[in-house]
Amino acid sequence: MSFDLVRTELTQILTDKSAPVVEITPDTVLLNGPLDIDSLDLATLVVTLEEATGLQPFREGFVLFHTAGELGALFTKAAG
Amino acid sequence: MNLSLDTRFELIEGGQVFTAADLRTRAENVSTVVTVTGDHPVADLIAALIAISENGTDLFVQRNSDAEILVPDQSPGRVWLQTSGTTGTPKWAGHDLSKLTQKIAAGSGAKARWLLTYHPFSFAGVQVVLSAMIGGHTLIAPPLKASVSDMAGLAEATQPTHISGTPTFWRAFLMAAPNLDLKSVTLGGEATDQGLLDALRARFPNAHIRHIYATTEAGVVFTVSDGKAGFPATWLNDQLAITEHGTLSVNGRDTHDAVTIDGDRVLFRGRLDSMVNIGGVKVFPEEVEAYLLTCTAVRDVRVTARPNPITGHILTAEIALDPSADETGAKAQIKAHIQTLPRAQRPVSLSFVEAIPYGETGKKSRAAS
Repeated sequence: MSFDLVRTELTQILTDKSAPVVEITPDTVLLNGPLDIDSLDLATLVVTLEEATGLQPFREGFVLFHTAGELGALFTKAAG
Repeated sequence: MNLSLDTRFELIEGGQVFTAADLRTRAENVSTVVTVTGDHPVADLIAALIAISENGTDLFVQRNSDAEILVPDQSPGRVWLQTSGTTGTPKWAGHDLSKLTQKIAAGSGAKARWLLTYHPFSFAGVQVVLSAMIGGHTLIAPPLKASVSDMAGLAEATQPTHISGTPTFWRAFLMAAPNLDLKSVTLGGEATDQGLLDALRARFPNAHIRHIYATTEAGVVFTVSDGKAGFPATWLNDQLAITEHGTLSVNGRDTHDAVTIDGDRVLFRGRLDSMVNIGGVKVFPEEVEAYLLTCTAVRDVRVTARPNPITGHILTAEIALDPSADETGAKAQIKAHIQTLPRAQRPVSLSFVEAIPYGETGKKSRAAS
């Protein structure tokens, strides 16, 4: 899965909640960074990505990730 | 007198430090209703706890300021807390102060710095507050509406040594990556998976990591400290048993928590009923379905809880629209309707279908994918 999908869906979530839309790069930190999102927003992002790709990188439980690029990479890895 | 406040206790709230002596003075002039409206709600709570332990009156800890103060029965010395209501009205539950404090050990010398991650007016929050008071520790109280990111920032600034939180809190806290060295990591309130325990161990190599299993009726049932999910199968006995439905029973009461034995380990597999935990909030998908059905444009709906790595679970909904409804208007109406639910109960993804499939039993198939 390309990083572009993470950026697109994340931008959509920011837009939906009327949060400032900032430039998102692979190094953008998801929580505690420049984005005005919380755990439930991040959970929503993961569901959206799972539905868009049909992949479930967290099937076996939690895997730590910090940045938008790391999240994209987990989906890429799940695609095998 | 059920509460012995250790003189070394201190509270850090809103950039201000309150000593045990300050809080005793504050206790001389407190109301029996503590509300979240004050500038220092945790200081107010502590002062009120000190006051009722000395004069034996009831304390109402009002989390939702709209809630009516009820006095179901007069049993002095009780701490009344509001259960975190879902769609219904929050309920009051009374707790004897002596029961709340009976398992808390007095300070043993080592002073810890606790970060309060639970709402201070919740059952878990009051437990942390009382533990810090009796143990003579420093309690760091974030603002009531603090996000996990805010707490991570506060943690960097104040350097707590001990943190207790839900698995949902810990996943987000790890992602927020505060610069911190913890001695103690406690998880409770939801089942913990191995991935999270491993990530905590890697991030906090010097910490004692434990997860707690508790029920509303029995309180804390057990604490697991070996870094593995679930609990050892050798702990099963007459009090802690697996029912014929495959659920865990505690003192003969079915917890409705489904478990399986995997080798020498008992692992949690979710709930026998449909209840799921979403970011620490208990949610019943049927309640959300019933709420969505009150929307005139909805003919039928199925709400499903999907496992989620951040919040444990998250809801999604499949909706069959009423054929007479205008599609665009109906979708907007439903989205607006969903926005009136508490956040944890909102389905985050909607799919519109012709009809909801029913299984052979006539029940909606609700198995999470």
